[in-house]
Amino acid sequence: MQAALRSSAITVRNAFLQHLRLTVAATSHRVPILLDSRVSFSSDHGTYLDKSSVTDRILELVKKMEKVDPAKVTPQASFQGDLGLDSLDTVEVVMAIEEEFALEIPDAEADKISSCAEAIEYVAAHPRAK
Amino acid sequence: MKGRLSGIQKQVLSLHRSLLRAARAKPPETREQIERFVNAEFRKNAAIDKKNYQQIEYLIRRGQKQLEMVRTSDGFSVVEVK
Repeated sequence: MQAALRSSAITVRNAFLQHLRLTVAATSHRVPILLDSRVSFSSDHGTYLDKSSVTDRILELVKKMEKVDPAKVTPQASFQGDLGLDSLDTVEVVMAIEEEFALEIPDAEADKISSCAEAIEYVAAHPRAK
Repeated sequence: MKGRLSGIQKQVLSLHRSLLRAARAKPPETREQIERFVNAEFRKNAAIDKKNYQQIEYLIRRGQKQLEMVRTSDGFSVVEVK
C-alpha cells in the first residue's frame, strides 16, 4: 500500500518535472523560431482572405465613390456599363482597392479590372492582401 | 475600357496611377490637394481628341515632370509641415 503510494507520488513528481522541463525548453527555443516564421509567413506565403469579406469590403468601397449610385452596386456590376464610370474613375477605384488591401496592383493587372467581380477575384486570389 | 486600351491610353492611365501613388507618401492635407489636382487635370484633358497624339504626348511628358516633382519634393513637404 505504502509502496504503491510512493510509486504514484514518484510518478506525479516525474510528470511534474517533465512538464517543467518541457516548458523551460519551449520558451528558450521557440521564441526566436516563432518570430522568424511569423515574418516569413506574412511576407512570402501570406494567407488568402475570405471571399465574402473581400466582396463586402470592395462593394462598400465602390459605393463610397463620388459618382457611383450605391443602389447599383452589386458583386457583378461592371464599372463602365453598370456604374457609369470611365477609365479615369476606374483608376481611382482600383487605387482605393490597393490601399484597402495593402496591395500594389501592377499596371498590366490593373488595366484588366473592369468590374466588381474582377476586383473581388483579383484580391481573393492574392496571398498578400490584408 | 470594354474594348482593349490603346498603348497611349495605357500610358495615360499608368501616369495617373503613378501620380496618385506618389501622393500617398505625403501628409494627409498635401496628399488630398495633390489627388484633387491630379484627378481634375486628367478629367479636364480627357476631352482631347484621342487622335491628337501631339497634344497627348506633350501632356504625358508634362505629367511625368510633375510626377518627378511630387516624388522629389518629399523631403521638403515633410520639413515644411513640421
